[in-house]
Amino acid sequence: MRRVTLLALALALACSTTEERASAPAEPESPAAAFARDPAAVARGRSIFIGTCGAYCHSTKNVERDAPSLFDCEWKHGGSDAQIFASISNGVPNTRMPAFTGALPQGDDDLWRVVAYLRSASECKAGKR
Amino acid sequence: MKHRLVWGLAFALVAGSAGLAGSANEEPAEIQLPPGPTHWKAEKPAGTAAGPVTADMLRAAATPADTWLQYGGNYRNFRHSPLKTLTPQSVAKLQVAWAFPTGTVGQFEASPVVYGGVMYVTSSYNRLFAIDAKTGELLWRYDHQNKENLRLCCGPPNRGVAIAGDSVLMGTLDAHLISFDRKTGEILWTVEVAKWNVGYSITSAPLIVGDLAIIGVAGGEYGVRGFFDAYDVKTGKLAWRHYTVPAKAGEPGAESWAGDSYLRGGSPAWTTGAYDPETDTLFWTTGNPSPDWDGDGRKGDNLFSNSLLALEPKTGNLKWHFQFTPHDVWDYDGNTQIFLVDAKYDGQPRKLIVQANRNGFYYILDRTDGKFLRATQYLEQVNWATIDASGRPVVNPESVPKEDAKFRTCPSNLGGMNGAFTGALNPDLGLVFIPSSEACQVFTKGISAFKEGLPYLGGLPETVDATAGKAYGNMAAIDVVTGQVKWRYRDRRPMMGGTLSTAGGVVISGNLEGEVLAFDAKTGKVVWRFRANGGVRSQPIAYQLDGRTYVAVPTGSFTALDSFAAGVNRVPEGGTMFVFALPK
Repeated sequence: MRRVTLLALALALACSTTEERASAPAEPESPAAAFARDPAAVARGRSIFIGTCGAYCHSTKNVERDAPSLFDCEWKHGGSDAQIFASISNGVPNTRMPAFTGALPQGDDDLWRVVAYLRSASECKAGKR
Repeated sequence: MKHRLVWGLAFALVAGSAGLAGSANEEPAEIQLPPGPTHWKAEKPAGTAAGPVTADMLRAAATPADTWLQYGGNYRNFRHSPLKTLTPQSVAKLQVAWAFPTGTVGQFEASPVVYGGVMYVTSSYNRLFAIDAKTGELLWRYDHQNKENLRLCCGPPNRGVAIAGDSVLMGTLDAHLISFDRKTGEILWTVEVAKWNVGYSITSAPLIVGDLAIIGVAGGEYGVRGFFDAYDVKTGKLAWRHYTVPAKAGEPGAESWAGDSYLRGGSPAWTTGAYDPETDTLFWTTGNPSPDWDGDGRKGDNLFSNSLLALEPKTGNLKWHFQFTPHDVWDYDGNTQIFLVDAKYDGQPRKLIVQANRNGFYYILDRTDGKFLRATQYLEQVNWATIDASGRPVVNPESVPKEDAKFRTCPSNLGGMNGAFTGALNPDLGLVFIPSSEACQVFTKGISAFKEGLPYLGGLPETVDATAGKAYGNMAAIDVVTGQVKWRYRDRRPMMGGTLSTAGGVVISGNLEGEVLAFDAKTGKVVWRFRANGGVRSQPIAYQLDGRTYVAVPTGSFTALDSFAAGVNRVPEGGTMFVFALPK
């Protein structure tokens, strides 16, 4: 009896969850997520990061230099794909981070490829900072 | 710097007591307070006992004992004090006479100037202090209000002022040149040398030649068009500008750049040059072509990057040039300190110019015509090239940056020697003292595109074995004429502090762990250490007032850059001037 009750409760919860899922508007996939599935796009993002964002600023490793590490769990200006894209596009006022919108050969797509590369190379794992 | 306080709590309390329903739920308001003072002039004129600094004083072969007039000590850049009181035996008796905080972080890289009993010294972020050189009392102060998003590749340093007549001159990170009344701190004139927001900045000390103040720009990591200028010392009027890269096809050097790549060619002139009064020749050096680590789009030698230029000082016209690292793809700027030496070379008296280049080789040229005489390796680790009989590098193809680079190239992109710090030359011993980084990197090539005001780099050099004892520092004593290394002192971290030599036979410098070091100039033995606890990135000086000998060493580093060629540095930032004195 008790087992039947629990099963009914679980089914009810599952159904409600399914219903909520079905009724909520689907999150549009970030362009970075799409690029992340394409090794060539990730490689181009890496090359842009190395040629444009590295050297005297960011490291490709999880270390803080003059600019913050982008491979740990901490995002000072928002950690969603869209927020990272915005930080790269618009820059961060009163820091050395300039606005890169329109700066790369393939425009926004190249910036999204950089986001895809950052995701792919991140050392941030669940529970780790 | 803006002075802001969050007054949210106070606002909420006041709003609540005044019955302003709903106000307490609003975001805390930021209220901007009036800016604080940024310029404190002298209460009474300082240094009045001394007259104007004359051209003859600057031309003097030796640095007068009671002054330090120029960044390089004298026009030959020897940074050699005539003081015989500073000896291997006496130097350990130095005691702190006074100290002075700058209130800024970032590298305190200046060479102080001392004249009329007053020390003029600049800190990071362009604070300029006039200080009683005996007592440490602040006489006047100017805090330049730089823009907040400066275009700086490598920190916020300034390497010092020039002094001429009754004025001192400072270049700024936002690419201005400012002249001050040395006695009062009043601003006499200001000129905009270049637009900072497209990538220009100034970090070096000007050089005074006759009535002209000569100053160059930084910006090689932003694809600027490099140049250096001469301004009338009295009025600030531009006398001439010498561009280091061509502007159009047909101009000298244009054939050495693929297409129109010279338009983004960098080649900045970010360090202080030298002047030879005998031949009336100005010598200036240039830095890397842009982008730094990807040369595919700028095939050719990329003139006049990484070069030594000899010019007519009155016009800025080029007499001759010598390029150390053609088609550089490692960031081996040609901007390290140049020394003008008269010596016997192969038995003949010659007018030489020598330089420990960032690329790891020590060069000897004839300074009357630029003829290459010799290059010798002064670093322990060099594998990017050898130098042929004409002075041209024979490049190791493995060292060229690649997208999948694995090769460990030496030296690192910081050098070797680096233009941000000085060596010194003892003419009595015939030795030049060169601090250096001994570090190697993997140079990876990547995609970059030029856009005005943005970094234009093309790659990434990364030190791969900094913690394995393979990234360290040396102070080397090099025979001026043969290029042979006579002694080396090894430090745990790259040596990135400047150098002072004395006629008494000591060399004074410091390390990144915050020790001021004195060496016996003949042997390299460390004869004195003082733990300042601020990394030494400055150019030490010595002077004598009322019979007492002083040594000034600005301390305070920029750890992000220190860590670039070595491991992370735990020493905190913050500028402090230490002035030591021998007992009375």
